[in-house]
Amino acid sequence: MPGRQSHGRPLLPQRGGAGGGKKGKSQSQNNNNNNQKSFPKSRSKSHSTALNAFALAAEELGPERRQKGVRYRDLEEQPEKPASSKKRAHDEDDEDDFDEDDDEEEEEAPQRKKAKKDEFEGFSDGAASDDSEQWHVGVGSGDEDSELDSDEAFGESDEERFEGYSFGGSKGKAKKKNKGGNSDEEEEEDSDLESLGSDAIDLATALDQYSSSEEEEGEEESGSEEEEEDEESTDGDDESSEDDGEDEEKMSGLKKMISAFGGEDDEEEEENQGSGKAKLSLADLGLGGVKDEHIKKSIKLMNKEEKGDKKQKLDVPLAKPLQDRNLRSAAYAKTNETLDRWIDTVKSNRRADHLIFPLAQNAQDKGLDSGELMPVNQKTSGTELENAILSIMEESGLGPSASKEKKNEGGLIDEEGKLSKAEQKEITRQRRRERELHSREMARQKRIKKIKSKAYRRIHRKELLKDEQAAHDALVEAGEIDSEAEREEQDRRRAEERMGTRHRESKWAKLGKKAGRAVWDEDFRAGLTDMARRKEELRRRVEGRRGSDDDSDVSMGSDDEDDKRKLLSELDRAAAYSDEDEPKSGLMSMKFMQRGEEIRRKENDELVAQIRRELGSDAEESGEEMDIGRRQYGMGKPAVKLPADSPKAKKKAAKSSEPVVFKDDVDMSEAPSRKQAAVVEFEPVESAPSAAGAWSRVPQEGRKSKKAASKAPVQELDLSNAAVLATKSSKPKTKTQTAEVDNDGNDTDDSDAIHLPMAIRDQELIKRAFAGEDVVGEFRREKAEVQEEDDDKEIDNTLPGWGSWVGDGVSAREQRRHKGRFVTKVEGIKKTSRKDYKLKDAIISERRVKKNDAYLATQLPHPFESQQQYERSLRLPVGPEWQTKETFQSATKPRVIVKQGLIAPMSKPMV
Amino acid sequence: MEVDTVDAPLTRVSQPNNGQLTLKKPRTEFKSKSEIQKARRQREAQKAYGRGRGIDVKGVRDKKLRRNLTTLENRYKEATYKAKEAEILLENTAGFIEPETELERTYKVRQDDIQKNVAIEVAQKGFELKLKELGPYVCEYSRNGRDLILAGRKGHLATMDWREGKLGCELQLGETVRDARFLHNNQFFAVAQKKYVYIYDAQGVELHCLKKHVEVSHMEFLPYHFLLATLGINGSLKYQDTSTGQIVSEISTKLGTPVSLAQNPYNAILHVGQQNGTVALWSPNSSEPLVKLLAHRGPVRSVAVDREGRYMVSAGQDSKMCIWDIRNFKEAVSSYFTRTPASSLAISDTGLTAVGWNTHTTVWRGLFDKNKPVQEKVQSPYMTWGGEGHKVERVRWCPFEDVLGVGHTEGFSSLIVPGAGEPNYDALEVNPFETKKQRQEGEVKALLNKLKPEMIALDPNFIGALNLRSEKQRQADKDLDAPAMDVVEELKHRARGKNTALKKYLRKQKKKNIIDEKRLKVEEMIKEMQEKKDEKLKDRQAELGPSLARFARKD
Repeated sequence: MPGRQSHGRPLLPQRGGAGGGKKGKSQSQNNNNNNQKSFPKSRSKSHSTALNAFALAAEELGPERRQKGVRYRDLEEQPEKPASSKKRAHDEDDEDDFDEDDDEEEEEAPQRKKAKKDEFEGFSDGAASDDSEQWHVGVGSGDEDSELDSDEAFGESDEERFEGYSFGGSKGKAKKKNKGGNSDEEEEEDSDLESLGSDAIDLATALDQYSSSEEEEGEEESGSEEEEEDEESTDGDDESSEDDGEDEEKMSGLKKMISAFGGEDDEEEEENQGSGKAKLSLADLGLGGVKDEHIKKSIKLMNKEEKGDKKQKLDVPLAKPLQDRNLRSAAYAKTNETLDRWIDTVKSNRRADHLIFPLAQNAQDKGLDSGELMPVNQKTSGTELENAILSIMEESGLGPSASKEKKNEGGLIDEEGKLSKAEQKEITRQRRRERELHSREMARQKRIKKIKSKAYRRIHRKELLKDEQAAHDALVEAGEIDSEAEREEQDRRRAEERMGTRHRESKWAKLGKKAGRAVWDEDFRAGLTDMARRKEELRRRVEGRRGSDDDSDVSMGSDDEDDKRKLLSELDRAAAYSDEDEPKSGLMSMKFMQRGEEIRRKENDELVAQIRRELGSDAEESGEEMDIGRRQYGMGKPAVKLPADSPKAKKKAAKSSEPVVFKDDVDMSEAPSRKQAAVVEFEPVESAPSAAGAWSRVPQEGRKSKKAASKAPVQELDLSNAAVLATKSSKPKTKTQTAEVDNDGNDTDDSDAIHLPMAIRDQELIKRAFAGEDVVGEFRREKAEVQEEDDDKEIDNTLPGWGSWVGDGVSAREQRRHKGRFVTKVEGIKKTSRKDYKLKDAIISERRVKKNDAYLATQLPHPFESQQQYERSLRLPVGPEWQTKETFQSATKPRVIVKQGLIAPMSKPMV
Repeated sequence: MEVDTVDAPLTRVSQPNNGQLTLKKPRTEFKSKSEIQKARRQREAQKAYGRGRGIDVKGVRDKKLRRNLTTLENRYKEATYKAKEAEILLENTAGFIEPETELERTYKVRQDDIQKNVAIEVAQKGFELKLKELGPYVCEYSRNGRDLILAGRKGHLATMDWREGKLGCELQLGETVRDARFLHNNQFFAVAQKKYVYIYDAQGVELHCLKKHVEVSHMEFLPYHFLLATLGINGSLKYQDTSTGQIVSEISTKLGTPVSLAQNPYNAILHVGQQNGTVALWSPNSSEPLVKLLAHRGPVRSVAVDREGRYMVSAGQDSKMCIWDIRNFKEAVSSYFTRTPASSLAISDTGLTAVGWNTHTTVWRGLFDKNKPVQEKVQSPYMTWGGEGHKVERVRWCPFEDVLGVGHTEGFSSLIVPGAGEPNYDALEVNPFETKKQRQEGEVKALLNKLKPEMIALDPNFIGALNLRSEKQRQADKDLDAPAMDVVEELKHRARGKNTALKKYLRKQKKKNIIDEKRLKVEEMIKEMQEKKDEKLKDRQAELGPSLARFARKD
């Protein structure tokens, strides 16, 4: 049955499987039995011989039957009804397997039986004989049928697997029986099956055949139907009922046939035998030229059948469990498919932070557009009222068309607005690309131009000034103007001009200040620096004028030089500016781009060179000024040397003259300036080599600690040292006192300030004051004790006198021998694993605080894999005190929110 | 914006410049400016609010857990970022006195100068109370800085709303007063008197006499735990819950007479300065100090802890002032010297440290800075005051104000120290401008949020952490030899009437119709009781005689 089985769910055959499948099997077995009983050797023969064997067997059926005995014969005497009733019984048995198919099926089963018979009536002998032939092929060996078959699905491995399973009439069993040889017993076992007789075989196969042939016919018409069926394959019951409907037409015919069938058993057998030998064609029967339409139809059908049969040989229906399995797997796949549609939804809901019920999907206003109302125009206006109002508006010139016209006057913008999104995107992309293309060299060009303009202006202004100065000088010489006042004014004017817009009180500055632009605007900041520089320049200028007229020239010159140098360096930078350091887009690697770039670069380089020349000429012009001092204007590295040595030298000088400062201990209220003074005073004391002993040691220690800043900030008290100090401290003490006196003489305004020598003296005093109390030593001892206590311990549990003698007269050796016999080790905390192992001045208790344990987690909570994960996941507190309101609310929002309303199940997958 | 601020680059003009720039971190991938800025802000937020490193999500093997943790991490990131962004709402900033030139010194600015140059309402905050007779005064502010308590050694006690100059109550106790302290709000205060500690209300009415606290020299109040901690002269440390009145723990320190006491506001641990130069850290949960620090060579005269619980400043008799990093118990910087041993220390919210020594008070700025990897030594103090002959007894910062209160022998001085107070207050936490209603509600809320004393530990974030002791160890701790509790005994002790528990039990058991040992026992018990009852009844009946027997009491 190609049509059905191809989509994995043979519907009719299933029914057959339920009703007739088993039957068929049993019949086949019967048939086999018959064969094998008569020709036991036939099993070993090849396929072709098997066919022959069947023919032979068919001949000898008669005698075989006679051997069967009474019981069998009785059955044969009432051929029809017992058989059908037996089948019924089978059906009922099978109901265990098919709990889904119930009453319906029971009704169907007899119908189908009828159908089989009907077919037999309708078809020629040839068909029947084919049938039997095919039967053998199907069972005995693999067939050539290319179509997917349930039989094929029953692979070898499956056969092995099902060997032990009693299919009621499986081939395997039949084989076994043959091997056993004791046919009678087995017959008894399978009596109900065998009793069906050879007729039943034909019925079952006939049913299959019939249904398949019908299917074939109907295939063209029901092609679309099948597709539908595919979709709705889950409800198989409906379909089967439809099939029944089709069958119903032939119901009456079938019933007749059933009645006729019983009597014609022998005839049929004979026919079968006949068909085994040769096929009857229509022509043989003289039906070639029939003109009756009905007959033609049936002939056509028969022809088709004949043709079809060659290719498509009907196969043995699968064993029931296998069929069931297929059914189940198909049903499973289908169900999975339908359920799979929900997977995404379920997943997303599981992962969702919040779920809100009732679902938006089922909301009452679902499908209603909550968007804005669109303006009504001719097209959209649906109702009369709208139309009327529109027309009125139109008349009064307020309608949509009027506004449109106006808009159109607007022109381009509107058109652009019409552009689709994709187009707009395209445009922007293009623009961006263009910008990128331009930007590199353009930027450089801009830069150079800026420099050029600066240089240009500078040069020209200088020339102008010079001319002006010359004219002025000439005038002064002529005694035509009051030089000083005039000059002042001129100066001011120039300064103001210089300041330009970037003046402190300018609008630009004020606006920027107001907006706080310096915080985010790079340009503004640059402007500010520029402004400050100008201001400074101006100030210098003014001061220079005030101070001495002679200096001004020099300063001017240097100023110019500065500027020039700056310009040059800027130029250098611009020249060196390359896009190497910038990320290259793919565009830049294109050839034409590179060419264009090259051209632009050349232009820029030329520009740079030109500016250089100009500047150079300028420098030459002002050569006289330049001769003063040592200045170098290298192309690449101007004025590197000058600043390079000066700071170094200064540093050196500073180092050499730097006083030794006790930075270690700073007095609370001292002033640095004072300190320095004090230190200077102390220098000789420190450097004095003769001062050996305690005093000299103290400053040394101070020095050390200065180097090792925080490592040993506090000198440890040393008793012996203190004693030494006590004897030797008199000399330095006097000195410090004098120093103090000096200082007091110097400064009088700060009475609270004290001085470093005082501090040092205090240190000494303190050392002596606490000399008696060995605080540090005590602390160390305590720490050692605690360490010892917490450390691992060995306890000797040996009882004296237990297993040994005690008392007087026991030798020391004996005592020793019994000493460490029972030792238990109590684990503690080792010294090295203590928290305070490396801390000199701390004892940290290692004892567990039992009361705190109540707030500890006893074990790692489930999903976490490590302690770190768990503890870190708790690190942020949740609460309005620690979080913003927003985060707090989102953190405490319940996962499932149920609002008022009917909570309906999801009607369709949400994702 | 002053232009002067951008003059600085001018000085660098003379630097050699050949166009080379050295980049510390070369940026390899291209990022937009906004992206970079956002990343920077995120980093800052993580540093300020992130509370340490996040979870390494990539290492998680379980898919679901990985996803959950990733979402959690993202949420945390978001939260920190939002918190950082919300800083924009903190509109006030602390402003310090800044020297204009190198030569200027802020410590030379006198109180008069400040008072002359600030607004009148601010200037009024600097005042002086001359109380010459009743000895050195200790001073304390209430949590919101509104109220001030002054306690003279010789029994003079006064509370006041110091800004308004309104006196709350004034008492002459007639005996030595060693310390005084406000409880959770200004409505109650505790006073350590000659023998006991007394609690008074705002009107000065004596409410309680805490007789268990004997000869207390120092007191601290832990506001989140509602614990009043007192330190006796004999070295006993006692914690009393002021909301329930129970004594939570009594510890004898066994370290001699304590010299100083301070609480760590971060973890509610008490720091006790001892005679032998150690500072011991106590919690009510352990009978021995959690940590002992050898801070000084002589008695530790005063201790103060900054509000984040990172640094402790201690001053000792050895004329030194040490700064400790109390997260790892190391000295942060080498010690400073005080000219005479300091008598009192206090650290303000902005990290200014006030040191009272002899007749002077010095304020230091930047003794410690949590943002610096290595602490630097400060060369000169921020402000100084004093030298007028009254010995400083105690210095205290007023919360949310730029005010330092100094209690001394001659009374009390309120100094203006610019930049000392936290400029932005959280009104839901502590409200300096609270109304009566707010105060009441705050009190209730604080009581609801009260922490248990068992939650005090060195690391307050330990709650919920994993107990690393093995199950075996824990089992060993349990006493497995303890006899099983007897059912009947258990029921008996559930005293609800005389025998109702037993009867109830039996009633319920009867319904179940299970007869086991327990039930038999109970039945027997009840029978016994019944018999006793009957006997008693008989006795009574016998007493009453045959005619009156029926009137005998039946129970």
